[in-house]
This record gives sequence, C-alpha cells and structure tokens, in this order.
Amino acid sequence: MRRTRSVPEPEHHDAGLQPERTSLAWSRTTLAMIVATAMFLRWFPQYGWFTAILMAVALCTALGIYITQKLRYHRAVSGIANERIHADVAAAAWVAGSVVVLGALGLYAVLFLTLD
Amino acid sequence: MPTSSPSPRPERGKFAAKLLRGGTEPDPRFTLANERTFLAWIRTSLALVAGGIAVEAFTTDIFVPAIRTTIAVVLLVLAMAIGCGSFFRWLNVERSMRHKTPLPLPLIAPILAIGGGVVAALLLIFVLLRQT
Repeated sequence: MRRTRSVPEPEHHDAGLQPERTSLAWSRTTLAMIVATAMFLRWFPQYGWFTAILMAVALCTALGIYITQKLRYHRAVSGIANERIHADVAAAAWVAGSVVVLGALGLYAVLFLTLD
Repeated sequence: MPTSSPSPRPERGKFAAKLLRGGTEPDPRFTLANERTFLAWIRTSLALVAGGIAVEAFTTDIFVPAIRTTIAVVLLVLAMAIGCGSFFRWLNVERSMRHKTPLPLPLIAPILAIGGGVVAALLLIFVLLRQT
C-alpha cells in the first residue's frame, strides 16, 4: 500500500542476505548510540551542560545513521546486483570519529571536571 | 532479473579514492562483511565508553575515588583506541582485499584483551584489599 513512490524497490538475489545483514548491523549501532546517550543522561546532575555535548554527538550520529539507512541499503543491493560496490570511507570515518570524540569528552569530564 | 536501472556507476569521492588507491573493487560481499565487522568493533567501543561513564557515575558508594577514576580512565582510553583502531583496521582490510593480499592481523584484538585483563585485575586487587 505504501508503494506510491515512483522509484521501484531494488531487488537482489543474494542467498546470504548481505544487504539486510549489513543494514541490521547499522541499526544495532544506532541502538548502541542511543543506549550510550541514555548513560550520559546519568551524568547530567553532576556535569550539567557538558553532558548535553556528549548527548548531542551521540544523538547526531544515531540520527545520521537512521536517516541514511535506506540509501545505504539501496546502494548495497545495487552493489550486489552489479557485482561492484564502493567502500563507504566517509561513513566509517564519521562513525569511528564520533566514538573517539565521545571517549575524549568522557575522559575530559572524568579527569578535569569536578564531580559533586 | 536485475531490476536496478542501468545507472552509471557513481564515481568514488576524492577522500575514498585517496585512501583506497589502486587495486580493483573486491567482491561486494567482502566489502559488506568488512563493514559489518567494523560496526561490531564500533559497538564494542561504544560499550566501553558507556562502561567508563557507568563506573564514574554509578559506583560512588562502592569504590574509592582513585580506583573509580582509574577504571573509568582505562575504559575510556581503551574505547578511544578501539574506535580509532577499528577504522584503520577496516581501511587496511579493504586495501588488502583490493590488492588481493593476505588480510592483516587485527592489532585491536590484543589491545582489547589486554585492556579488559587490566581492568579485571584492578578490580580483583581492589576487592581483595577491601576484604582484609
């Protein structure tokens, strides 16, 4: 019923369901980001506004993954169909970068902000 | 039946072309598998960030400040190392697949194992000292 858009849903014949598995792996990562955000919320009473930065980084990444999920799935499907896919360097750099930033901000809070 | 339209292959971005130079595109299944493995490492790293935060936030009544801070710092440093290392691991695997060379050994695996061991040892020492 929802197929009102003119773009046809892509199809693939990969018995290993690689595009689906990869898409689900991204979904799990989004979920992990949201869980981490919930953990940062626990710091709010002690660190106040600083927690908001941590939460913003994690939530932006989670949202970014969520928004680009469909595009990524379509690319994986056509990649399987064409037997050729470009490795997504930007996405990997972005996700790894945001995890490193989260770790660094957490480290800064633990070492330099006073807990009370 | 291939329903995907005969779309022209999108050219790779400058960034990707520079980091993944030469060779030929590997089997797309391998590229996707590499991506999933990378994401598993990222989730491990995120779990370590959340763990470090949890130690600092939830254990004020259990641990003395020195122990609490040490464990939190070790976990967070480990998270950063794994997060950073997972990207380079992903890149190196992608490179060796493009050039059809043997896959590199994961350096982040021993880092994670040793880091986990250090945190466990710290906790063990703390628990033993507290009981005496």
